Amino acid sequence: MSAISRKRAQFIVVSLVLPVILLLMFVVYPAADLLNMSFTNWNGLDLQKTYIGLSNYRDMIFSSPDLWLSLRNNLIYFFVHLVFIFIELLLAAMFCAKFKGAGFFKWLIFLPYIINGVAISYAFSYFFSPVGGAFNEALRLLGLGGFIGNWLSDPKIVNYVLASVSVWRYSGYHVILFIAGIKSIPNDVLEAAVVDGANAFQQFWHIIVPSITLVIDFILFDNVRGALQQFDIPFIMTSGGPGYASSTFTLYTINIAFKFNNFGMASTMAIAIMAIIIAVYFLQTKVVAGLRGVKK
Amino acid sequence: MIKRLVSAALCIAIIFSLVACGAAASNPATNAPTTAPAAQAAAATDAPTQKPAEAAPKEEAVKATLTIAIWDNLVNDLYQQLDIQSRFQKLYPNVDIEVEKIKNDSEYWDAMKIRASANELPDLMFNKTFTLAQFKDYLIDLGGTEASKNNNLASAYSVGGKVLGIPQTMTTEYVFYWQDMFDEAGVAVPTTWPAFLEATEKLQAHFEPENPDFMAIALGAKDEWPTYPFVEFMPALQNGDGFNWDSMAKLEEPFASGSNMNLTYNKIYELFSKPVFGRDPNGIGHDQAVALFAQKRAAIIVSGSWCLDTIQQGTDDVSTLKTFYLPVRDAESEPFRIIAQGDSFLGVTIHSQNQPIAVDFVEFYFSDAWYRDYINSIPDDGTVDEFAKAKTPALQIADDTEPKDKTLVMYDGGGDDFQSLVNETKFDYKKLGAEMFVDGFDLQKRFDDLNAAWKSARAKLGVK
Repeated sequence: MSAISRKRAQFIVVSLVLPVILLLMFVVYPAADLLNMSFTNWNGLDLQKTYIGLSNYRDMIFSSPDLWLSLRNNLIYFFVHLVFIFIELLLAAMFCAKFKGAGFFKWLIFLPYIINGVAISYAFSYFFSPVGGAFNEALRLLGLGGFIGNWLSDPKIVNYVLASVSVWRYSGYHVILFIAGIKSIPNDVLEAAVVDGANAFQQFWHIIVPSITLVIDFILFDNVRGALQQFDIPFIMTSGGPGYASSTFTLYTINIAFKFNNFGMASTMAIAIMAIIIAVYFLQTKVVAGLRGVKK
Repeated sequence: MIKRLVSAALCIAIIFSLVACGAAASNPATNAPTTAPAAQAAAATDAPTQKPAEAAPKEEAVKATLTIAIWDNLVNDLYQQLDIQSRFQKLYPNVDIEVEKIKNDSEYWDAMKIRASANELPDLMFNKTFTLAQFKDYLIDLGGTEASKNNNLASAYSVGGKVLGIPQTMTTEYVFYWQDMFDEAGVAVPTTWPAFLEATEKLQAHFEPENPDFMAIALGAKDEWPTYPFVEFMPALQNGDGFNWDSMAKLEEPFASGSNMNLTYNKIYELFSKPVFGRDPNGIGHDQAVALFAQKRAAIIVSGSWCLDTIQQGTDDVSTLKTFYLPVRDAESEPFRIIAQGDSFLGVTIHSQNQPIAVDFVEFYFSDAWYRDYINSIPDDGTVDEFAKAKTPALQIADDTEPKDKTLVMYDGGGDDFQSLVNETKFDYKKLGAEMFVDGFDLQKRFDDLNAAWKSARAKLGVK
């Protein structure tokens, strides 16, 4: 082996060892431990734990109606965000055009994403407050006082209110990703389309969208993951209430672990959410590929 | 194909990294404490605990840092203002006190559970009545200390005969109200439950026309826990049994018609169904509720004595701020009960590397070197006769105006059986209280569901 080959081999080994060790320590081991714990009834404090087979999995599926209510709430986040992804893509295409103030608007739309999520949740708690809340005051000023509702406590609307806060927070991030994707499309491709007589919609649908497939795939995955792991907004704004009306899968799991001292069941739920995310992602990928007529 | 496999593997790895980190935090008892609690307790008993805290400084060679975890902002401020470290350093000149302030009690318990499983509990931690049993394996027995012997409540809250924490305060629940608002609405201090309901309705009817956002009672049910004076304490006030939760654990169907829980929760539901909590009681949290009360946009707030300080911070004028005890009895002929509990139980953990010093810290904490100044700086009652203090005027009024034959009910948060049943049935009384404000809430159906779950859980857990 030549000196260069040896050094290259050393470099590869050194470069891989640390990430692999970190991966084993912080991803593989905790995940294996999580799986192990999901077969126990450990309460988080006892010095020993008892293996109970698949009882947690059975109880989770057949005896946890509030968990499934929470999962339904996650789906509301998922679909609200999904609708907005299309709008975000249109906004990104618009921001890629040269017009005065485009940079400012890009900055403005990205701003919510860099603000701390806890701060956003607190701010919106007061925004939607029934006493002196800015939203209700704005409705009154616009003569729409009749539309004032119990934004954070009416089980029929609370999840949509929370999902709208989530959209406000994450849309800018998606728009910036879309812009980066669109900017990576070679100009000559778009110019050729213009020469061939393609209108704006045809350029968008036949050139821009297929060219940023990777970005779209990532954002769709991020939507699945984000919607199913939604936590901070409902936790701070409503504590998942009233009852479990605005609880989410993660919020419910944390309550099971810490409020009801059932770390075994909470681990089972964490395993379940992983499985659900993977399943929904692959299903979504298939559906999107089918819609685009792409064989993946 | 390979590309798809690689991308699938990457997806799984990403998801694991995003989801499974919780597992690292909640690493189980595989890392269980290596020292048996009994041995640790024995070590503590051998510790130099009998020396008076005012003794001459100990050997300067002892160098350590004692960590103490707290959740209370007021306590945190007082530790700094009264300089707890300098005072303790008169005993141990080279021992530092590191106060770990955690945002609120809810996050405090979460953090302590995680740290317990990771062998990382602080040297000293505070507990409440309902967490003493949960942390019993992680706390040493302080029964042999002078602090325990001198404390009025410590032995009453022992778990399995061990004093796992020494209560620093005795908290009592009060109804805070503005006397001038009561006078304006023509409302007298109620001494029965029906009179209390009537008073709130009268206040609402009087003030709502001039302020549509007015609430006779400010609650902050969005946070759920502020419902506790009603849903947690009223069952014990109703039947006079401070160990009501333990009694409930012995029943097959504790929410059955005619039971104490059924009767009490029906009373609470009757109150919560009245429009005396403002237009949207589940829409505001406790902080906002206290602020609104302090600004006299609410006439009443029901809370513990600890709330007085927060109220005072929200207003410049507390001259008409008064208190009375929540009347739960249905008629004047029934006994008038008030509830109190030992609170903030200071304990030494088995994870402490400096247990003898930590035990000495407990002795110091309840000695004249610290406790007298500390207890005189907070509204709560003390737990040591030697340092008895006069009540804050706003709280003393409750004693002065209530019936003289009142009965004190000492509250206990529930033992092992009750906690196990709560965990199994997911009976969350504070959440249930907040749910009572939701339109269409069906209390009877909830009773039926809880009875069924309770019965099944008792059978599963073998609770007798």
